[in-house]
Amino acid sequence: MRILNLIPLLIIVSFVVFMFVHIIPGDPARLLAGQDATREEVELARSVLNLDKPLLQQYFIYMSGLFVGDLGFSIKSGASVAQIISDRILPSLGLTFASIVWATVVGMLIGILSATFRNRWPDQLGMLTAISGISLPNFWVGLVIIQIFSVQLGWFPTGGAGSWQSYIMPSFALGAGIMAIIARFTRSSLVESLKQDYIRTGRSKGLGKGSIVFGHALKNSLIPVITVTGLQFGFLLGGSVVVETVFSFPGLGTLLIDSIQFRDYPVIQALILLFALQFILVNFIVDIIYGFVNPKIRYD
Amino acid sequence: MNTVTMESPKDLPKRKSRMQKIVKEITRKKVTLISSIFIMILIIAAIIGPWITPYNPAAPDYSNILSPPSLAHIFGTDAYGRDIFSRILAGTQISLSVSVSAVLIGAVIGTILGLVSGFFGKLVDKLIMRVCDVLFAFPDIILAIGIVAILGPGLRNVVIAVAFFSVPSFARLVRGTTLEVKEQLFVESARSMGASRRRIIFKHIFPETLPSIMVYFTMSIGTTILAAASLSFLGLGADPSTPDWGAMLSTSRDYIGSAFHVVFFPGLIIFLTVLSFNVFGDGLREILDPKLKD
Amino acid sequence: MKKSILFMLVLVVGIILAACGGDYDELEAETGSDEGESNDGQNEITVAIEQNFVTMDPHDASDTVSIFGLKSMYESLVTFDEDGEIVPALAEEYDVSEDGLEYHFKLREGVTFHSGEAFNAETVQANYERIMSGNLSAERNFQYIDSVETDGDYDITFNLTEPFSAMLNKFTMVPMTSVQSIEEETVGSEPDGTGTFKFVEWQQGTTLTVEKFDEYWDEGSTNVDTLTFQPVAENGSRVAMLQTGEADFIYPLPQQNASDLENEEGILVEESPSSIARYVSINTYKDPYTDLKVRQAMNHAIDQETFIQVVKNGFGNPLDSTMASETQYYESQEMYEYDVEKARQLLEEAGYADGFEAEIWGNNSSESIKGMEFVQQQLAEVGIDVEVKSMEEGTLSDEIYTPETPDDAKVQMWYVSWSPSSRDADGATRSLFSNEYFPPNGANTAYYDNEEVTEWIKEANLTTDESEQQEIYSNIQSTVYQDAPWLFLASDTNLAGRSEALEGVYVGPDGSVIVKNAQVK
Repeated sequence: MRILNLIPLLIIVSFVVFMFVHIIPGDPARLLAGQDATREEVELARSVLNLDKPLLQQYFIYMSGLFVGDLGFSIKSGASVAQIISDRILPSLGLTFASIVWATVVGMLIGILSATFRNRWPDQLGMLTAISGISLPNFWVGLVIIQIFSVQLGWFPTGGAGSWQSYIMPSFALGAGIMAIIARFTRSSLVESLKQDYIRTGRSKGLGKGSIVFGHALKNSLIPVITVTGLQFGFLLGGSVVVETVFSFPGLGTLLIDSIQFRDYPVIQALILLFALQFILVNFIVDIIYGFVNPKIRYD
Repeated sequence: MNTVTMESPKDLPKRKSRMQKIVKEITRKKVTLISSIFIMILIIAAIIGPWITPYNPAAPDYSNILSPPSLAHIFGTDAYGRDIFSRILAGTQISLSVSVSAVLIGAVIGTILGLVSGFFGKLVDKLIMRVCDVLFAFPDIILAIGIVAILGPGLRNVVIAVAFFSVPSFARLVRGTTLEVKEQLFVESARSMGASRRRIIFKHIFPETLPSIMVYFTMSIGTTILAAASLSFLGLGADPSTPDWGAMLSTSRDYIGSAFHVVFFPGLIIFLTVLSFNVFGDGLREILDPKLKD
Repeated sequence: MKKSILFMLVLVVGIILAACGGDYDELEAETGSDEGESNDGQNEITVAIEQNFVTMDPHDASDTVSIFGLKSMYESLVTFDEDGEIVPALAEEYDVSEDGLEYHFKLREGVTFHSGEAFNAETVQANYERIMSGNLSAERNFQYIDSVETDGDYDITFNLTEPFSAMLNKFTMVPMTSVQSIEEETVGSEPDGTGTFKFVEWQQGTTLTVEKFDEYWDEGSTNVDTLTFQPVAENGSRVAMLQTGEADFIYPLPQQNASDLENEEGILVEESPSSIARYVSINTYKDPYTDLKVRQAMNHAIDQETFIQVVKNGFGNPLDSTMASETQYYESQEMYEYDVEKARQLLEEAGYADGFEAEIWGNNSSESIKGMEFVQQQLAEVGIDVEVKSMEEGTLSDEIYTPETPDDAKVQMWYVSWSPSSRDADGATRSLFSNEYFPPNGANTAYYDNEEVTEWIKEANLTTDESEQQEIYSNIQSTVYQDAPWLFLASDTNLAGRSEALEGVYVGPDGSVIVKNAQVK
């Protein structure tokens, strides 16, 4: 049922996206025809692209294509949008996945350490490390680590997505922020679990600290952590624009920037719709988990 | 969650002592203390900075470009021979006011939306949350590029763009707290005593959402500084000649291989500032968030 | 407990998968290709460039990057050599009739396309027809062509409607694709040309890979087996690629890195003159810029030498005409001397003793931003308070080209550069200074309105006499230079970086990377 509810939302999003993209100043016909094009050439390009029709009509042309699964063709290169996106989606998913994985592992470890040694030096050190992760402009991190690890040490390639090594630095730059969020989240939800009555009981029964943390408390704090991880995954796919630019990574982020620069409407629309769709789906799943954990709050 | 119910509206005079308690808590934890001192220094620099710079931050000196840190220029000079330290000092005001005002706008609008959404529920709630979903679903950078493209470049529009995408986060946060608080007994009783809706929202619910708003506000200042810097990175930020930190960082990035100090110092100051706000916000959360109270 | 173990397990598997997802073989190729040679003796090189390719249709490319990318696979009837002279390519020889209306080409025999198809007059005819069928940007090059006549397999004549001085230059811009690709409509998707390299793969918006064409008519032109063009937008990243050996050639090389790279072993920095003129166009329809004295004052306020030192790190030449020195019929003018006093005096005479407020626009590349900041600082010296507005390219182009009349235009100053794609004087003049080419009709963004100049531009086209053309363009340059519709800044020096092991790749004056004769030592 709830999935059916998503369809009107997507249609609204598609409308907003369409209008938004077309309202932004910029004329793909002019960009396509070139700097020294004459007025006639620009007009011709415009009519070929259907850009001279009223906006609403353009929207309906677009939507009627969308309903039969036709995302249209790129204004810039003429290639099919579906093809362009499918070329780029795998590297992007790979990058997102790599970032999430290391961020979750490291983040949870720091979180667990911090919660176990709450308010002592491992906690303060851990939280400081984590917070540092969200305190740096990620393009700056990117440029600095390229200088150190590619140019000076020669360990990793500077960019691209040619081999698995080229995923290391961008996923580091991209995951740092998520690592911080997950660490803090794990810590606070674990601290809360550790205070629960039955944990106290366990402690009074003489169970070791390790077995309390890993055996009982962690289990209870996992679901919220998964939730937050899921949410971050949603942000990542669309949020890697800057990092992808620094590492000239052939993913959806750089595609988005290129398409915006060229006002390649069909590609921009398809990308935002894709981001919106996965964001809404992730949210939807998270909502269900959330409702499951805390039945008092209903989210519909 | 328990402490929330413990406090009734009649306890208002207690607020003051709560403030004192917060200050005491802050001074107790070392990292929080250090970060709050740093924030103090930043605020002072923001107020008097432009008047105490050792050099004119805008005056070029073409005979002395890209010189590394020295006694005369402790952070070195940039591509036009301007003193980097002076620029950072003078830029504190710009950078802080951009982020504070952006977060403030976002927080005010978001809070109102969240309160309304959480309190009234039903269709209003649905509508506001769907709008937030749509906003969330847009990648921030698209929104920012769009807004800057429509409004034109400049600091004021950067503020608007950044404020725009902090609205939905505040709205969600406040809505969540509102939902919880709404169900609490004392609101029920206030309602039965015939208080107006507006009174309930602002006198009873809003104060309870304040702690989490404050925490999120502090942390958002940091994120906002980074967001503004990212906009500058994409060439859509402030007039590049203003000593805004993000602008300094992004215009200097071409020198990363040849004159590292030009990139390093603006990056460092951004890092320290954002870190301070985040650490401080974290400390504030520890103190204010009842969930973490022992 | 079980749940958390399961979760950890999933994570571990995830990490292993992520690690194995990459291809270890590629790592081998990567580390092994340091000097452009991989393990199996194949010569592989990577050329890192700044922008993305837009199209693979040789008749529809209007951006420099797509054009030079395509040039690796395609050839035209005539072409530019490294010195900028027009030389035969697919045509062995050519002649032009007295009246300038007939261009006759004798085609090269024994040339084959990558698909094996033979090149002949029929091919040229088919290409001509495709271009004239509309919607392709190459049509612009053939706007004065009326008809084509073939005579046997290897002779072809183009008839013009009116004489056009830059016609031969335009032929360099029209690559020849195979008849088969035209008939099957695969021109943009499966490039089939006659060039030294043949198409392997173009990943939308990223890399273009080409490989050596073994049956190339001019044997031994290259010994490179596989060549990859990789767009890398970030300056620092591009330099890093050259330093790490991931790229064998990079263009453009950011000026600020040139001196460092020169000292690095195995890396050479190549400087070459360019046809790129860098200037600020001044909207002469807007007050106070309507006043010639104001524009001249502004020019006197700019120190071109310092501009080159500060913004260009010493690479470039002062722009001493309306076109860069590598352009046809270029003639240097007496420059506006850097003289703040004189500038102040001129402003006072014009009634702006206290200066005025102004705005400068430009795109959001770090290069433009740097240039605009410099102009801002220099004009501040004479009391002109300039606000720098950097805009994203799409917005900027809209703001500049949308206004229908000069009065609607909001642009005051625009920091920009211009390079005539076929190096002809017409291309460096007409669209910029003729009053028939105000936006949205053309790129006369200074709204420079001088009837005499407009007439000269027309005249220059109609004559085929070179000395006459020379004289007309000389008049145009001196008149426009004195009228100062621009702030004249610099002509660029193209900077490229290459590894010592690679030779034969060079950057043309228009910023094209020419790889046709690439040789690995």
